[in-house]
Amino acid sequence: MDFAAVLGRWFLGALFVYMGLSKAMEPVEFLKLVREYQLVQHPLLLNSLAATLPWFEVFCGLLLILGVAVRGSAVMLLLMLIPFTLVVLQRALAMQAELSIPFCAVKFDCGCGAGEVLICRKLVENGALILLSLWLLTGLGRRWSARYSLLQAE
Amino acid sequence: MKSPDAGHSDLADACSPPRPSAARNARLKVVGWECLIVAVLGIVLALAANGISPRGLRLTTDYFPRSIQNAAPAIAGATQSPVADATAVALTPAEEVLAARLQAKGLRLVTSDQALQLFRDPRREQELIVFIDARNDWNYQQGHIPGALQFDHYRAADYLAAVLPLCQTADLIVVYCTGGDCEDSEFAAIFLNQAGVPAEKLLVYAGGMAEWTTRGLPVEIGARHSGNVPPDHP
Repeated sequence: MDFAAVLGRWFLGALFVYMGLSKAMEPVEFLKLVREYQLVQHPLLLNSLAATLPWFEVFCGLLLILGVAVRGSAVMLLLMLIPFTLVVLQRALAMQAELSIPFCAVKFDCGCGAGEVLICRKLVENGALILLSLWLLTGLGRRWSARYSLLQAE
Repeated sequence: MKSPDAGHSDLADACSPPRPSAARNARLKVVGWECLIVAVLGIVLALAANGISPRGLRLTTDYFPRSIQNAAPAIAGATQSPVADATAVALTPAEEVLAARLQAKGLRLVTSDQALQLFRDPRREQELIVFIDARNDWNYQQGHIPGALQFDHYRAADYLAAVLPLCQTADLIVVYCTGGDCEDSEFAAIFLNQAGVPAEKLLVYAGGMAEWTTRGLPVEIGARHSGNVPPDHP
């Protein structure tokens, strides 16, 4: 079980490093996508969000791969994944109402780093990532960790 | 940073094992502190990475300016502008909506026919009419309106030195981007105005490259004045 959790930790970490880098390499495109969500209006807040989020994802991904502060990193992923999934859902519902198409036919670039995606697929993927992050919170995946917990020698 | 449990000795732990709820609380506390450390360190490193990256964003720049400042004179003068006299055309209902939206920003719309007329105007050869491509470098290199200058306003500092002198001496400046939902031509026009280009010179070709290429109009590939205009374009 622990070995499976280690694989899950590596997978989650690698995915966040990849997704984060793909956004960090095209920050302007990511900035435009973040703006479309209308989460913040002030330029400083909008730019800060678009500038830091991709690198923050890379950072958390690297921590997971190396096995450093695993539970803290998993919580951070949850704090990114859950609100993000909700705003993606909200936007998809708005697009569905506007275009009068089936929900699962809604397709757009959600700013996830993978280009245009079908919304149902994206929600399933995010759900799986949320479950994986929660699983890591249970304390599994300690093997091959550089420092599983920052504050306790384990 | 010390763990909240750092004061516990192994002996004490062995003699009086913590109650399950106390152990859970201690674990939650540790995870909470860990979250805080990861969050603070992550944000600091992310800001540093953005600052170091050549593609990083400037945090204080408003990349999406709403309108030209003091727009009223530019709008009032629009009907007397050279383009209005030379290329006046009836607008479709969709174009009228677009023109009104641009006018609210202090900008003026040119339609596809007007843009083509300006492109064929002899003043373009004298650089009195200038086309500005507001897309990124990759898109510009793939193909732009022949002779158009590139001005990617997200990297304004890289382009202003080349673009501003021409804009200052030109009579009319036609700014375009991809077309469709693309708003970068509007933002770029407002950026140019903020850099000192008079608003009455600025025109937005909202149809952009999408409309231009759909009509089979000439496209220049690579650098400005590269002369690489594929023969399948007239």
